[in-house]
Amino acid sequence: MTTTMPQSAGPAAVAPSNDSLPLHADDVIQFPAGIPGFELCQRFVLLAMDGLMPLRCLQSVEGPPASFLVVDPGLLAPGYSVPLSSADRARLGAAPEDPILWLVIVTIDAEERAFANLRAPLVINPAAMRGCQIVSAEARYPLRSPLVTAGD
Amino acid sequence: MLVFTRKRDEVIVIGDGIRVQVLRVGHDQVRLGVSAPLTVPVHRLEVYEQIEAENRRAASGPGAARSIPPALAERLRRPLPAGKGDA
Repeated sequence: MTTTMPQSAGPAAVAPSNDSLPLHADDVIQFPAGIPGFELCQRFVLLAMDGLMPLRCLQSVEGPPASFLVVDPGLLAPGYSVPLSSADRARLGAAPEDPILWLVIVTIDAEERAFANLRAPLVINPAAMRGCQIVSAEARYPLRSPLVTAGD
Repeated sequence: MLVFTRKRDEVIVIGDGIRVQVLRVGHDQVRLGVSAPLTVPVHRLEVYEQIEAENRRAASGPGAARSIPPALAERLRRPLPAGKGDA
């Protein structure tokens, strides 16, 4: 049975993740530079999807319509840690003590295999409701890390 | 493409608020400093393009959930295997 999104990006409570950082779906997260390939998508909401936790949906609410499946990288790679540069920290308006929400984008290919981009995580500062994607030459994690396949 | 010859410490100004300065010139590489507003992404080309391509593969139109194949959606309801993410 297929699970479908509500037709409108209406409010739906988002279950907390990453140490209980609450985000309500009708709160817009600003991505000042968008994300690579989607530079004009600068306002997103983070939506829960019925029955698909821990996956959530990061949906653009301005600019080109685009949505991304996202998941907490800590669920996929214990001890996951990617450096947050001072430039990105400034982009997020994050003070050193501000808790940060980390999410990675999930791709599903034509063979229905799911991969997570652990190399270029999304970083969100809930205190300022700002986010960005980390773009770094450091290749500590794979660009396409297998999640599961339907046959697992 | 506009081509400039700059010496160390010299600056190029782009638009309103973007500055590129030559910090160090080596035999076969140059160190550049870039100042830009937070709204302007500044990255090494090859890294940016790689992530751009991956984001494009990942994106769905409105409603990412509709793109999840039912069998995969069913599998995702079970706990994810941790530790598969190591390089």
